[in-house]
Amino acid sequence: MRNTYLVCYDICDDKRLRKVFKTMRDFGDHLQYSIFECQFTPVDLAKCRHELNEIIHHYEDQVLFVDLGPVEGRGDRVISALGKAYTSLDASCIIV
Amino acid sequence: MIQAENALLPARMINEYVYCPRLFYYEHVEGIFVHNLETIEGSHVHTRVDGKEDDLPPAAELLETDRPANRRSITLSSEQYGIIAKLDLLETDGSLVTPVDYKRGEPCKAEDGSIEAWPADRAQLTVQVLILRDNGYVCEEAIVYYARTKQRVRFTIDEQLVAETLQQIDAARRLANATEIPPPLEDSPKCPRCSLVGVCLPEETRRMSNVRSISRQQMILFEVEPNRTANLSNQPGDEDVRRLVPSRDDLKPLYLNQPGLYVGCSRKVLQVKDKKKIVQQVRLNEVCQVNLFGSIQVTTQAIQAICTEEIPIAYFSMGGWFYGVTHGLGVKNIYLRREQFRWADVPSFCLRIARALVAGKIKNQRTMLQRNHIEPPKVALVHLKCMQEDAETAFSQESLLGIEGNAARVYFQNLQGMIKVNDPEDSPTDSGADDLFTFEFNSRNRRPPKDPINALLSLAYSILAKDLTIISQTVGFDPFLGFYHQPRYGRAPLALDLMEPFRPLIADSAVLSAINTKMIRPEHFIRAGNAVALTPDGRKAFFRAYEQRMDTLVTHPLFGYRVNYRRILEIQCRLLARVLTGETTNYPVFVTR
Repeated sequence: MRNTYLVCYDICDDKRLRKVFKTMRDFGDHLQYSIFECQFTPVDLAKCRHELNEIIHHYEDQVLFVDLGPVEGRGDRVISALGKAYTSLDASCIIV
Repeated sequence: MIQAENALLPARMINEYVYCPRLFYYEHVEGIFVHNLETIEGSHVHTRVDGKEDDLPPAAELLETDRPANRRSITLSSEQYGIIAKLDLLETDGSLVTPVDYKRGEPCKAEDGSIEAWPADRAQLTVQVLILRDNGYVCEEAIVYYARTKQRVRFTIDEQLVAETLQQIDAARRLANATEIPPPLEDSPKCPRCSLVGVCLPEETRRMSNVRSISRQQMILFEVEPNRTANLSNQPGDEDVRRLVPSRDDLKPLYLNQPGLYVGCSRKVLQVKDKKKIVQQVRLNEVCQVNLFGSIQVTTQAIQAICTEEIPIAYFSMGGWFYGVTHGLGVKNIYLRREQFRWADVPSFCLRIARALVAGKIKNQRTMLQRNHIEPPKVALVHLKCMQEDAETAFSQESLLGIEGNAARVYFQNLQGMIKVNDPEDSPTDSGADDLFTFEFNSRNRRPPKDPINALLSLAYSILAKDLTIISQTVGFDPFLGFYHQPRYGRAPLALDLMEPFRPLIADSAVLSAINTKMIRPEHFIRAGNAVALTPDGRKAFFRAYEQRMDTLVTHPLFGYRVNYRRILEIQCRLLARVLTGETTNYPVFVTR
């Protein structure tokens, strides 16, 4: 089962920041500066935490993982937006 | 076949053997490995100790006066015991050495509340100590480090532990040379978090082997078996089994169906481009298959990334003809295929499987009519019931073909009754154009399909065949050798065999619901000559309907748990494999209750 997570980071060094950004693109959608919205299985979460763990500086940087609950159900209703619209897409397949 | 007698057994595999002999067989003999949360975390715990390999001086050069030192990632072997081990960490103090092994979890709690190492870990460390001693080192103790609680558990290697471990090494080696897989654990708390639970299907296999024949029981190689079967025969057989596999696997298929798309790859993200502009980015860890319709270009880098993730790529023509699959290396053993080839040459076995498949298909066709027909036709239902019974006792493959054809005719004659959108008030009267389609179905026709419903059915069967081809390859079958369909058909006969019972349940049902819920409308079709084809929009809508059907949760008739159709397909495929490898005797065809 997937849970929706917000992953927010504060990185003090430009090089590490870019590395973290690139890594996060493998895992989720870029929502705002330094915020990604991800749909994690427990395995994805473990992988993501591990990859970031290898990049960040443990005394200067910080990454927060905010669990918004299961994708089906609460996860897609807890975010509401002011200003530009926020949409979350969920389908049983991806068609282009 | 000659087994490499002197092949060294990894100490890690002794751990697996003590955990579960069946797990050992899968990982060591069949070379099947699946990652789950536990194994991923385990490999993360090892990143530091595996960072670089240190040198270990020979035993004679370690002096009493040396200061304590740590050495990481040392590989040692012992010819005497025939084992090899990678030591995570070796602590040396003078000439005394102590191996430390890193484990992701937490230690075992003894009854008095003290912590100790798990039996499997103890065995693995004892093996490491045996190797160290065989290489001349002085070694009295071993340590397991549990990363979850950050605790070290130290224990002394005494003679009793050595004797036990030697027995386990011996048993593991015998099993490695055996040809039969050990039975799954019984109702074990180890199973739910085992990474191979989806391959091993412990509960399902146990349920199926309740009906195992007497002659097989006498052939059993393993000491535990006679007691086990004795216990089993006392159990009531009809309670539901534990659902150990997740009901959905959280991965989505990707369909690319616009001509001219170009698929590139950046790290682990597929970038789908149209005229050099990115139209969609798809993360590989959310995809279970990639389907390409028509002329779509995929770069080699993208293919490599997709294959590395063991995601299959399926190719179709624009019209939906299924050409083939690109796969990663997949199952790296030949055992199941060898059994498949053997059994495909046994006519009585093929007939048995074919009977079950055809009877199951007819039963499911009958269920479809009963459930969805506007006024279930009594005569047809009785006919189908008779033909199902005929199929169960058919004496040859040819007569089965006849029965199947007759049943299909009766079923398709009544298919129209399941389509509920042709009411006069529904259809627009003002259009008047004669190329407007209606959903009227008279008979099944194909190559090319001549009306909208036949076009949908053809596409549905094509993508169902694709799904079963992919699944049968994942399980380790050769899809090009079937038991009912003969190789001359040109498509994957095994996939066609396996899909028989699912044609009504998945393909027909997806078509009917697409039409009845108006996901597919008359404007989604175009006529070309005497053929009818779907427009790109129509195809997209149909993929959505098909995948919705695939994602529907359904109760397994035998095991009583609910999983989606995609899972059911894999479970059924693995159960057929069980029959071929002799673990169970009967193939339970999937029928809805």
